[in-house]
Amino acid sequence: MSLLIQYTLIFASVLMLVALGGCFAEHSGVINLGLEGIMVIGALGGALVMRLFLDLSTPMMILGVVLGAVIFGLLYSALLGVACINFKADQTIVGTALNMLATAAATVFVKAMNASINPDDVSSTIQYVDQKKNFLLYFGDFEFNWFMLIAVIALIVAYVVLYKTRFGLRLMACGEHPSAADSVGINVIKMRWSGVLISGIYGGLGGICYILAGVSEWKFENGVAGFGFLALAVMIFGQWKPIKIALAALLFGFFRALSNVYFGFDFLVNLNIPGTVYNMLPYIISLLVLALTSRHSRAPKAEGIPYDKSKR
Amino acid sequence: MKKNILKSDGVQAVIASLICVVLGVFVGYVILLIINPDGAFEAIVAVLKNFMTYSRPDSQLRYFGNTLVKTIPLILCSLSILFAYKAGLFNIGAAGQYCVGICASLYAALAWGWSWLPCLLLAVIVGGIYGSLVGLLKAYFNVNEVISGIMLNWIGLYLTNMILSAVKEEASPYTINIRTANPDALIPSLGLEQLFNNNQYITIAIPLAIIIAFIVYIILDKTRMGYEIKATGFNKDAAKYAGMAEKKNIIMTLVIAGSLAGMGAAFLYLTGFEQYIVTSSQVPSMGFNGIAAAFLGGLNPIGAIFSSFFIQHISSGGAYVDKSIYASQISDLIAAVIIYLCGFVFFMKVVMNNMIAKREANKAKTGKEGGEN
Amino acid sequence: MEDAYAVEMLHITKKFPGIIANDDVTLRLKKGEIHALLGENGAGKSTLMSVLFGLYQPEEGIIKKDGVEVKIKDPNDANALGIGMVHQHFKLVECFSVLDNIILGAEPLKKGFLDKATAKDKILDLSKRYGLEVEPDAIVEDITVGMQQRAEILKMLYRDNEILIFDEPTAVLTPQEIKELMMIMRNLKAEGKSILFISHKLNEIMEVADRCTVLRRGKYVGTVETKDTSMEELSAMMVGRDVNFHVEKKPAHIGDAVLKVSNLTVASKRHKNDAVKNVSFEVHAGEIVCIAGIDGNGQSELVYGLTGLEPIKSGKIEFLNEDVTKRSIRHKTEKGMAHIPEDRHKYGLVLDYTLADNFILQTYYQNTYSTKFGGFMKRDAIIKNAEKIIEKYDVRSSQGPNTIVRSMSGGNQQKAIIGREIDREPELLIAVQPTRGLDIGAIEYIHSQLVKQRDEGKAVLLISLELEEVLDVSDRILVMYEGEIVGELDPHTVSEEELGLYMAGAKRNEVKA
Repeated sequence: MSLLIQYTLIFASVLMLVALGGCFAEHSGVINLGLEGIMVIGALGGALVMRLFLDLSTPMMILGVVLGAVIFGLLYSALLGVACINFKADQTIVGTALNMLATAAATVFVKAMNASINPDDVSSTIQYVDQKKNFLLYFGDFEFNWFMLIAVIALIVAYVVLYKTRFGLRLMACGEHPSAADSVGINVIKMRWSGVLISGIYGGLGGICYILAGVSEWKFENGVAGFGFLALAVMIFGQWKPIKIALAALLFGFFRALSNVYFGFDFLVNLNIPGTVYNMLPYIISLLVLALTSRHSRAPKAEGIPYDKSKR
Repeated sequence: MKKNILKSDGVQAVIASLICVVLGVFVGYVILLIINPDGAFEAIVAVLKNFMTYSRPDSQLRYFGNTLVKTIPLILCSLSILFAYKAGLFNIGAAGQYCVGICASLYAALAWGWSWLPCLLLAVIVGGIYGSLVGLLKAYFNVNEVISGIMLNWIGLYLTNMILSAVKEEASPYTINIRTANPDALIPSLGLEQLFNNNQYITIAIPLAIIIAFIVYIILDKTRMGYEIKATGFNKDAAKYAGMAEKKNIIMTLVIAGSLAGMGAAFLYLTGFEQYIVTSSQVPSMGFNGIAAAFLGGLNPIGAIFSSFFIQHISSGGAYVDKSIYASQISDLIAAVIIYLCGFVFFMKVVMNNMIAKREANKAKTGKEGGEN
Repeated sequence: MEDAYAVEMLHITKKFPGIIANDDVTLRLKKGEIHALLGENGAGKSTLMSVLFGLYQPEEGIIKKDGVEVKIKDPNDANALGIGMVHQHFKLVECFSVLDNIILGAEPLKKGFLDKATAKDKILDLSKRYGLEVEPDAIVEDITVGMQQRAEILKMLYRDNEILIFDEPTAVLTPQEIKELMMIMRNLKAEGKSILFISHKLNEIMEVADRCTVLRRGKYVGTVETKDTSMEELSAMMVGRDVNFHVEKKPAHIGDAVLKVSNLTVASKRHKNDAVKNVSFEVHAGEIVCIAGIDGNGQSELVYGLTGLEPIKSGKIEFLNEDVTKRSIRHKTEKGMAHIPEDRHKYGLVLDYTLADNFILQTYYQNTYSTKFGGFMKRDAIIKNAEKIIEKYDVRSSQGPNTIVRSMSGGNQQKAIIGREIDREPELLIAVQPTRGLDIGAIEYIHSQLVKQRDEGKAVLLISLELEEVLDVSDRILVMYEGEIVGELDPHTVSEEELGLYMAGAKRNEVKA
């Protein structure tokens, strides 16, 4: 049981971080379909820190890994910003390209790195068995991961920034009615860049959190299995509001956790459902949830539309 | 007055695509240089040469055939994506539709012992049904087709793994080889293989795919259905105003798109070229590469034939890089960069038009013959 | 310094590709006056104000503030100079509260966080001082248009703007709200603010403005004191000739009922109440029935319900003696219902299609334009049809049938729609604000087409916001107010004032269904 809670919480943390990232981008008016790719690159950033700095103290390791993921995510999201904000490119195409590019680039990079150390090692895997221990604390059976706390802090920060600060008010105005924001002297382009870069930070964090969730090594060829898109479903289900997103993330995290731990529950094993079904569960649930909520969902009005000053 | 050929939309599209290709390859080269400057040039040349790496003409022909065999499903996937895109729908679910197409064609061939044509038709139908799910969710529940498409990709992958486990080889995760188990299910070649040094994977799938590309072109450009689909894609409110059945069009478009992707899967797996791995943890990349091919081909069905060949050419070429230094995924990387750059095509066209306008204005100033709008 | 100028715009020229929007225009706003800027649609008023507000940069001319030359590069510069503007289409974020909208861009902070309490006090203060009643915590999409406008005015006052620009502020208001606005403007003037008031409504200008500058086709015509002039003189300055708004038409020959609407109710997308409430009326062959009313009183939804663009909640629609309540848009179109939509870009046209392809938007599937077997488009027939409509309705474009519609002017786009709809020889023509945003020539043409339809024995349902159009063109007037039909009036006997009272909901009579 504590295993189920533990997995639910860690997967919920991943989904919440990434969904909040999507939420910042969309509130600024940009649809970030590249979150999946940002997660991969963020994960790469964090994993590299673990790989290159083996003997850091626990606080330094946590700080280093977080910084690595954040910086990589931030830089990668800039590719979305340039294309979609400055060049008014189609946000769907660019997001898709970034997802494909991330996995390919991470694979090429890690393979080259592995091969340069050991010419026989042509895998795209990074191991971090010992380094990972820095992130864990045990309370009896329960394995606490510092990322659970980081996710809660990120949630509070998102809530305060969006609803209690000047920046948040301006950001949301840009996603709803950019020409109104422009008319009171807000620089829409700048705000949209901020939204995209913040989504890069959150997405990067979500990425490293994901590869630290259940395993101690990561094969970068595998990407992140649609988690970036599950997070978008969480964001829609959460109606673009941080607190609701957190609750939605818990629900989705629970179904994702089931596939890791269902064999620990006698009554689930007795049902004799193939394990593959549990793998499919999060995706099926998200389809159902989207079908039920999308009809009345209220996305930021101007999202996906490049801002063009001359068409005010 | 002489018409400037640069003004033509088609010419501009070709130029834009060429720019994307050159820049994409260049970025790939730069990354190879960063990894290891010594072998970078040979590596990028290997990617671009692909089958031409072989010195003997008959080997070249044989491996050219292999590239063609894999180009066929890519053409179908890119047709699937561009067809839906004309109706304003981004069919990222093509990958999943392709996946269930594999599932249907292989299961029918191996478990039921069907011959190739019914296997092919089943893949088309199952792909179409799978595509219709995206359409139904979009039309009746307003679910964004990109997100539902991705979800269905993963569901399709796990379903396929589960179902095809019943027809796998005992000692490996591969599905049983069709060539030995049920040769009837192989698409016939009608002698075409002789053109490619008896490459046994060459079948009539190649001419069929090209014919289908032309049919898609004719449907989109010359028929009532194409008129309706494009009107819906450009302005769905106006389509509704004009009395077109919006929901029906969305669903029908995605059924056709799904069928095309499913057909693509059958066109590859019913040649025996590949066996499916039932422990796959990745949705087949064919559907995603189809996005690259569709946009690189300027969203034109005929263009898709050429762009698909190019994308497959460099994908296959990735296998020839020195793997002790570089990863074969360098070609995926180039393909991804090309899609990214395709996002800038609109901007490139604006720049081209501005350049033409400027030049004409200059001409009008110096001589009097130019400058008509 | 009674005659000091707050703002002077001297010899402003602003060009766009193909047109000169402002050609050597001069405008001087005195301190503490209400100055009207008058001109027809397309005369260059909005461009001039956009220049003042920093949205456009002029090619020639200078702007002076308090006698000193200034450069206004963006709205921030305008703001810093104390210039504020109420835009014709409000710049309000609909899902924000009134308060959030007012402080947006000028947010007060306390310890780095938003200080909404202080802001609220200041807003309530201002609202009391100038008589601008608002609820700071209400969400914008839930409040009336009048209150939205007051929020816009408070936005300027909150920033202590001294120069206030009102861009066509009365277009969306009821007559009562217009009265209130006039009062507010006088209050603002009394408090020392200088006001620029953009309008094409002569009576409002005569009532509230001190001076008036007139533009015509981008050119400066003159500036006059309103107390020394008359409506007739202003009107002549504005149009450049004596206006004859009256549409010549023969008496109507009214035939059978073509459209019968009973107890129609349509839900609103914007608020919880119904947009159209239990409406019943008839339209007969050979008459033009006009639905009059202030914008946003359910006219759009009524049309969406009639044509089938939005589902209806209850009621019955009979068209040519058939119950078409549940029938498709296509069925109604085939039966002879034509619709000139309110939003020509959203509904009326596929902007990326050619003119020829747009002309067959509702008929492409018929045997005339595509083959029965295989559905191949008949290019020749499509082009021939386009050439016919272009010729008959004088649709001008650069490449004839092959012109991409996006590249055409608004007036010609509208003519294309009208040509397409009328050329199908419909039994009922529903025309929603068909003349909006067009110049006088085009307006006269469209009116004559509507009358021609009626004279040929067809039914016309016209939805209009312009009083003059309502009174001149129609044979019968139905007034809509808050989703109901509150009066049926005869255009020959009703006065403009009386019509205004109905539109404001101040008066109603029983409607015979």
